[in-house]
Amino acid sequence: MSAVVVEVEKLSRNYRNVKALEDVSLTLQQDKIYGLLGRNGAGKTTLMSILTAQGFASSGDVHVFGEHPYENERILSRICFIRESQKYPDDFKPVHAFKAAALFYRNWDQGLAEQLAEEFQLPMKRRIKKLSRGQLSAVGVIIGLASRAELTFFDEPYLGLDAVARQLFYDRLLADYAEFPRTIVLSSHLIDEVANLLEHVIIIDKGRILIDDDVENIRGSAVNIAGTAARVESFTAGRTVLHREGIGALVSHTVEGALSAAERREAQELGLELGPVSLQQFVIRKTLDAGAPLGAEPPADDAAGLGNGTSARKHARTGATR
Amino acid sequence: MSTTIDPAMNAARPAGRPRSAGNRALGVAKMQLINKWTFLGLPGVILAASFILTLAIWAMIPETATPKYSGAGQAIMWYFFALGLQSMSLTFPFSQGLSISRRNFFLGTVGLFAVVAACIAVLYVVLGYVETASNGWGLNGQMFALGWIAERPWPTQVFFYFVVMMFLFLLGFWGATVYKRWQATGLMTMGISFAVLAVAAVGLVTWQGWWANVWGWIVTLTPLSTGAVVLGLAVVLGIGAYLTLRRATP
Repeated sequence: MSAVVVEVEKLSRNYRNVKALEDVSLTLQQDKIYGLLGRNGAGKTTLMSILTAQGFASSGDVHVFGEHPYENERILSRICFIRESQKYPDDFKPVHAFKAAALFYRNWDQGLAEQLAEEFQLPMKRRIKKLSRGQLSAVGVIIGLASRAELTFFDEPYLGLDAVARQLFYDRLLADYAEFPRTIVLSSHLIDEVANLLEHVIIIDKGRILIDDDVENIRGSAVNIAGTAARVESFTAGRTVLHREGIGALVSHTVEGALSAAERREAQELGLELGPVSLQQFVIRKTLDAGAPLGAEPPADDAAGLGNGTSARKHARTGATR
Repeated sequence: MSTTIDPAMNAARPAGRPRSAGNRALGVAKMQLINKWTFLGLPGVILAASFILTLAIWAMIPETATPKYSGAGQAIMWYFFALGLQSMSLTFPFSQGLSISRRNFFLGTVGLFAVVAACIAVLYVVLGYVETASNGWGLNGQMFALGWIAERPWPTQVFFYFVVMMFLFLLGFWGATVYKRWQATGLMTMGISFAVLAVAAVGLVTWQGWWANVWGWIVTLTPLSTGAVVLGLAVVLGIGAYLTLRRATP
């Protein structure tokens, strides 16, 4: 078993009348890649800020490398967190920002930084203030990668990057991680983009942790069943249906839980098509479930299927296009 | 983990960089100096420009018996007020991104500024002596050697300029820190509190009929005692800035 790098216990953060984080507990293991997923405003950045002592908790305990990170250089020197809205000194160019990072990170790799800058086509001598959104993201990504900090956070790293640059980031991240394993946390609201990188997923919504599990387990925890309406309905009766979708006579249900071998055979005989559920679909379903008004009865399976059919479908559309 | 990774990384890392945690305050000072233009270039330009412009103006004024005064020498001091604001509001968030503790950010930034302020204070005094020796740059002008201060021994002069610059810098620095923590509301509250305190002090002096004493005290002020008062204020500002910074977020 690998060592625990981050330990969070009952962490809460309240702003005036908003609970940004509520009773969050989690641990991060050494040398794993985590996805911190959730909608905008779910509390991802707040959580990362507190873990890196950039922000403050209202209550709860945080341990990073076994100690509290606040004003603790021993711990801080092993952490890198360039936020999505990172501010740089007014007169800084990327070349200055990298020089500064080199001053503070023991394992800083200037060669890697320069190579990445070239690949991302980042103008090193232009003021950061004048860079495009994508180029600004590239500056953060490069500092995150080249600092080789033992605990590195990437906050929505792909914002404004084009498809080529995003792929480049994912490739470089995996390659460098293979060579220098470390604990990496990728925060993202574009889930399928990063799904292939992740080993473990933490889904956060309205300041609360919904799911904290290995990607493997999550992938196996739901299945898509498609076919004619009547057959699908009868097959999924009595199961927790996360999502229903249909075009004409064909419907598709996303069902929680794995199917046994016998059930798979049965489905095949019925002419139903079984498919994996994408991480993004799963997260959307879970998040929307959690978003149901508090106090309302959790919809019974059947009633939900018929009564809420249209609204569920609408949700699915918005989710898919987001 | 560290045992497996470190050798490879050590090989890649250039020698002779400050690495230990204790040197991170020094790292902050170096970071502030990465773009040399801000801390060294611009002050140089301001100093040179205000000096040359002042000379040009003096040259145009007809010769008189009394010396020509100019306050242009102070321009640079006000620049440092702005620098205090800026080094806080923009460099602090970046230093947080690089996981630098607030303490080291404060020590590195204020420490660097103390060094720069000391250099400029010495430069002022030297220029003051040159001014006196050259009969006011040959134009009977007074820009650096201001009568009240210039007649004192040079260490007093250096001390005076130094604490005035530290005061202005820390004023800007603390102001920016307050803004960072409590935004405009905080600055306004602080400004109004100071105004209330000032009015209350004036009121107290008037009520007690202390004005004669106050004026008497002001007249006896020397650069040394004024400097001491300013130093006291600067220390208060510094402590205030540090305590405010301790809980500031980027």
